[in-house]
Amino acid sequence: MSISRYFAWNEIKEHKLIYTVIIVVIALTMASFMLENAYINYMVQVVNETIKNVTADAIVTNPDCDVRDLYGTETPIENAGEIARLIEEKLPGYKASVRVTAQASYGLGAKNESADGCTLQGIDIKNDVVVEELKKKIVAGRFFREDDPILRGHTPLYIKIKGPGDLPDIVYGSGQRLLEKDEPYPVIVGAAAAKVHPSIIGVGKELDLYVSAASRGANYVSIRVKIIGLYESGTPTVDAMIWFIPADSLREIKCYGKVEGKSWTIPGIGSFRGFKPIKIDRNKGDAIVVKAPPPSLSIDPMGYAEKVRKDVQSVVGKDLKVFSWHDFLLYGAGSMQDVVTILLWGSMGVTLLLCGAAIKYVMDSIIIRKMREIGSLKAFGARDRVIFKIFLYQGMFIGFISGLLGIFIAILVMNIVNWYGLNMGFIAGTQLKIGFVVNWFTVVIAMILPVILSILAASIPAKKAAMLPPVEALRRGEMSL
Amino acid sequence: MAKRKPIIEFQHVTKIYSGYDSKVIALNDVSLRIFSGEFIAITGPSGSGKSTLLHCMGLLDRPTSGKIFIEGKDTSEITGKDVALLRGKKIGFVFQSYNLIPRLSVIENVILPGLIIGRKRKELEKKAMDLLKEVGIAHRAEHRGVHLSGGEQQRVAIARALINDPIIILADEPTGALDTDSSKDIMDLLKETNRNRGVTVVFVSHDPDIARYGRRRIEVVDGKIVSDRRRR
Repeated sequence: MSISRYFAWNEIKEHKLIYTVIIVVIALTMASFMLENAYINYMVQVVNETIKNVTADAIVTNPDCDVRDLYGTETPIENAGEIARLIEEKLPGYKASVRVTAQASYGLGAKNESADGCTLQGIDIKNDVVVEELKKKIVAGRFFREDDPILRGHTPLYIKIKGPGDLPDIVYGSGQRLLEKDEPYPVIVGAAAAKVHPSIIGVGKELDLYVSAASRGANYVSIRVKIIGLYESGTPTVDAMIWFIPADSLREIKCYGKVEGKSWTIPGIGSFRGFKPIKIDRNKGDAIVVKAPPPSLSIDPMGYAEKVRKDVQSVVGKDLKVFSWHDFLLYGAGSMQDVVTILLWGSMGVTLLLCGAAIKYVMDSIIIRKMREIGSLKAFGARDRVIFKIFLYQGMFIGFISGLLGIFIAILVMNIVNWYGLNMGFIAGTQLKIGFVVNWFTVVIAMILPVILSILAASIPAKKAAMLPPVEALRRGEMSL
Repeated sequence: MAKRKPIIEFQHVTKIYSGYDSKVIALNDVSLRIFSGEFIAITGPSGSGKSTLLHCMGLLDRPTSGKIFIEGKDTSEITGKDVALLRGKKIGFVFQSYNLIPRLSVIENVILPGLIIGRKRKELEKKAMDLLKEVGIAHRAEHRGVHLSGGEQQRVAIARALINDPIIILADEPTGALDTDSSKDIMDLLKETNRNRGVTVVFVSHDPDIARYGRRRIEVVDGKIVSDRRRR
């Protein structure tokens, strides 16, 4: 060990109390910085996953749609199928599929005392861009099959149409099943929803859904659904809110297409007695979801998201709106994240500056007390650089130990919390776990920043000590005895 | 007979300390030659410049004008790290208040100047033990310096001054903090070291009884050498 390092380490040992306080304060600051960052990271990942489950990489909607509408847009794109094909044709490697969406609600319990909501995502069970991922996430029951009774001319149990002005609502077909042999619509529900409402949500259970059909002039359409599978996306917010149903079923429910013959006609509110399968217009949809090929380098996911958005926009033209998953992220968590991040860096900066000042003043006082020692070392042939390094190494050791301790504390807390799993009951009644996802950038910061800070803080007294003329140091040292 | 070369030579050395509104001439045109193997006492009243003379000799301070030669080398031509290296290799210091590093053991204190100039620890430890035996304190090698008496600490300081085989030992009031008996012991030890090792010893003292130990006595008054006598 060099003389400088040896003396530096001994100084730290000699002043262990004050240095321990400084080290602990810096370590806790870095640990809390890492923990908060890891928690934000976790939340961003939750939101991100949620968004990607709904939108894939980008989503195309009508221009009157904004981010909030996307979980259940009501303004269909008439030629959605053609646009999806165009995207695939013009952008090699891209996949696009037509999505039908709707908001729905359902009563809870036998007496329907309260209700919960969900977003129905009508997916093309063969070609939707998220089908393969969704299949992998089924944890109970099964995924949709082609022979599921989804297009056999189901008719909703009733349609409730908002009455004009103050007139009462008009209800058609209330309580009647118009088919001889009725089959409920198969749906796949999030496992989190099943945990929240175990009595009514589970594989094999049937319940009534009230699907919003505002764009058709109707308030809602009541349908019977059967839960055939439960999925677990890994993000409770998705699990709790998003139910999947074959797109054609949802088209039928929302009546995207002509109702012929004796079957029901909306919005003319004609007769809907009798039975005739509804002709589905698959070209029509509420949104087009787009999956982009993975970037060759994923170091800038936000930048890539923007590139995907621009690429898709260039194909669909200005008449349609394109959102990237990052737009959702910004909507959902981005602004909050930015503010929290600024506050986080700010508070960390202030604490570190105070610690830096503390290091400087502690070292200043050490130098005054150790003047004679500094003088002696110089008399024994120690160069200015050796003295400078004694104090610089002290700073470096303090920073290094603080950073290491901070990282250790943060990782320990993260592991304990991740291991035991603390729950927070919020977001649509789900049990959202408090989790941490380590951002390795913050680990590097937590290691480097205290070292840089301590070295900078130490360099001022270090220079002062190094520049002391030996005779001056010896004389002042004698005087301070 | 070949002419003896001085190990240290002062040529018209002046040292002035300047304050905001004052100027103190600590050394005034001092010329001096010190030869190998001498045992020199520098005496003079308080503030006469004797410590400044010693500090300049030890390259702890630089003269305002004039030249100092060490083994014929003009020290005004060397700067920074070379001065530090020269000081470490050629000069051993003994201070009035011993200046042992309190948290180091006796042996660690002794080897410190050797470590500073980059010598190997093992070789230094062996040499330090020999030196501690020489100064009669080997049995306390592993003790911490602060636990020793003043006389013992000064013995350690003398061993420390010898670790790099200097050409000269500069002792600033080496008995200033000691009682009469210990002072005598330390002066005897310095004398013995000078005789046995042939190392030049220059010490500063304001005490006439201590100054009497010097075979050559230089008296400084108001920054000037007023007498320089050799005892037979």
